[in-house]
Amino acid sequence: MRHARSFATIVASSVVLGGCGRDVQSMLAPKGIQAEQIAVLAWLLFGFGIFVLAIVIAATWLAIGGSARSRRILAQENTVLTLGIAFPVVTLTLLLGYGVWLTRALLDTDRDQNAVGIEVVGEQWWWRVTYLAPDGTPVASANEIRIPVATPIAFKLKASDVIHSFWVPSLGGKVDMIPGRTTHLRLTAERPGTYRGQCAEYCGGAHALMALEVIAMPASEHAAWLRRAAMPARAPQSDIEQRGQHLFLGAGCGACHTVRGTAAAGKLGPDLTQMGARRSVGIDTMPLTHDNLVRFITDGQHVKPGNLMPEFRFLQPPELDALAAYLLSLKAMDADG
Amino acid sequence: MRTIPRSRLLLFVRLIVLGLTSIVLGGFLLAWSGLYNVAASRGHWAVIDAILTFGMTNSVKTHALGIEARPLDSKDLVTLGAAHFQSGCALCHGAPGVPVSPIAQSMLPSPPDLSKSMREWRDRELFWIVKNGIKYTGMPAWVAQERDDEVWAVVAFLRRLPTLDAAAYRDMALGGLTVPAQSGREIATTEATSGAVSACARCHGEKQRGPNSRLVPVLHGQPVGFLMAALEDYANARRPSGIMQPLASDLSADDRERVARYYAGLAPPATPEPPSSDEAVERGRMLATRGDPGARIPPCMDCHNTSSLEVYPRLAGQHAAYMANRLRLWKNGLTSRSSTDAIMAPIARSLSEQQIEDVSVYFSSMHAPAPGKQNH
Repeated sequence: MRHARSFATIVASSVVLGGCGRDVQSMLAPKGIQAEQIAVLAWLLFGFGIFVLAIVIAATWLAIGGSARSRRILAQENTVLTLGIAFPVVTLTLLLGYGVWLTRALLDTDRDQNAVGIEVVGEQWWWRVTYLAPDGTPVASANEIRIPVATPIAFKLKASDVIHSFWVPSLGGKVDMIPGRTTHLRLTAERPGTYRGQCAEYCGGAHALMALEVIAMPASEHAAWLRRAAMPARAPQSDIEQRGQHLFLGAGCGACHTVRGTAAAGKLGPDLTQMGARRSVGIDTMPLTHDNLVRFITDGQHVKPGNLMPEFRFLQPPELDALAAYLLSLKAMDADG
Repeated sequence: MRTIPRSRLLLFVRLIVLGLTSIVLGGFLLAWSGLYNVAASRGHWAVIDAILTFGMTNSVKTHALGIEARPLDSKDLVTLGAAHFQSGCALCHGAPGVPVSPIAQSMLPSPPDLSKSMREWRDRELFWIVKNGIKYTGMPAWVAQERDDEVWAVVAFLRRLPTLDAAAYRDMALGGLTVPAQSGREIATTEATSGAVSACARCHGEKQRGPNSRLVPVLHGQPVGFLMAALEDYANARRPSGIMQPLASDLSADDRERVARYYAGLAPPATPEPPSSDEAVERGRMLATRGDPGARIPPCMDCHNTSSLEVYPRLAGQHAAYMANRLRLWKNGLTSRSSTDAIMAPIARSLSEQQIEDVSVYFSSMHAPAPGKQNH
């Protein structure tokens, strides 16, 4: 519970600070190989920029107040050719070559067969995540991406409606998700931890609330988690959970949401098979709590304006309690938060 | 050319200003003194009456200019209009066999007896009058301004009205409902009238008889929860309808529950409509059971099946014309504060015209389950 609360604080403050001071979402605090390469490139560019600026300032200073000799040297054809053409051509070519080499690796162009494949589809305004279980069956999830540490992850990025952009600054660069095309991105997390990502391409009204979390966990834990995640949903145990499931199906939630192992098999909205194991409700809009779930079901258009889920305002408080209890119970028994 | 001297021009302007001021002042004094008689018992002078009528007629004609008339010869439209006319219009305007109420006759102007004579209006002008009402005459505006479809039903009936005799009118307006003659004690002690003004059955049918217009929903066997929620939404103006709002707001919460239970307990009427096209039924079935993920349309059956929550209507055996009309209302932007409408409206807006046709035909071709087989 304490963990959940401190996590909520982190999420809330990182929304406010946009990553400053916290390292869950900052390209200046790289936590993955690709992010480190980008950070190195960024610092390199920054240092080189300072170097060029120093030369320009020095040349200007000499041109205005320097001795007659230094002004003569500056005006020589050789100086202009060296500093004005040769220097930029050589350095920019080197930088471009380095940049292309770097991006090539990031964009997963060589399709490493050992990489773990995860498909992420950008939707207005959430992330449809599909893992592949060891036996090859796809495992649908949403909004939270769990990856093994120190393993290259090959992301297949798609979009279902408009252009989105997938960016987890602590782990790597951003890549657009374009309807009708598949783009690729390779990320490798070096340390376990939670890294926040955001849609980085304006995609409509609730774009600012389209965030996600990448949770890097030790490879053995990840394998166990994926096995659990591939199982059908946990059957309701208590009375209230059973009533909740009855309401869930009766209210037609299954028209849009899937809970594997039940009649709910909708594909329009996020898969809820592991809803109770998630850390947020409304796609990273609010921390996952009973009250926030109820609020999203009855007042979702205020929480996340324009989102495609209609408000179910006719549900009465006892019904909402049962529904929330059922949704919170949807997690593999020994899943850790 | 003769020029007017400046001094004469000034005098002229002064006279005009003075004249206008005294007219305004005089008018105010007349109103303030209370000498003008507003009594409806006194009537207008003939000349005032002629001017008012002239102004009213031209105002209606001008304002109705942009309205596009619809085909009005459908029997369903006329029957629905007749049923509403009986409860909403006949009290003041009379009908074949229904005299204008003496109270209405004492209004100024007294409402025209439409069973005897009607000014020659175009369809669009009648539509404008029924929808907007007429200021200072007592003619009210349509209760639900967003329900043009209902207004057109009344216009369709008004076009038919001159051809009806008392028996034909009664048959149409009462929808085949037979009101037994009342005993003296009943007449003396109940509010029920032979006009059956507030009887649901005039439109929705009763016992084995379904609705008399295919634009009216079949209520037989619907869940009590849905019927009560719909009546409550009408009564509180959360669900717009110029026909249902006045009737539902007359019912107490207990009345609403009792009448909901009555219809919920009725067996579905008659047989389903024979489908016009098997392909349409098949397309409708696919949409109803699988949805159209590409257009973000969920399957209808996830909410409209026999084990769905009571607050959702069951659609099997519903009239295609009613369903298509309702879906089109949402598609064309009907906004509603009803909590279930808020769920359905965005879905309906995503439906194509073809899908509306298909899914309506599909549900109308299905057998409605008998009451009691539903999960309450």
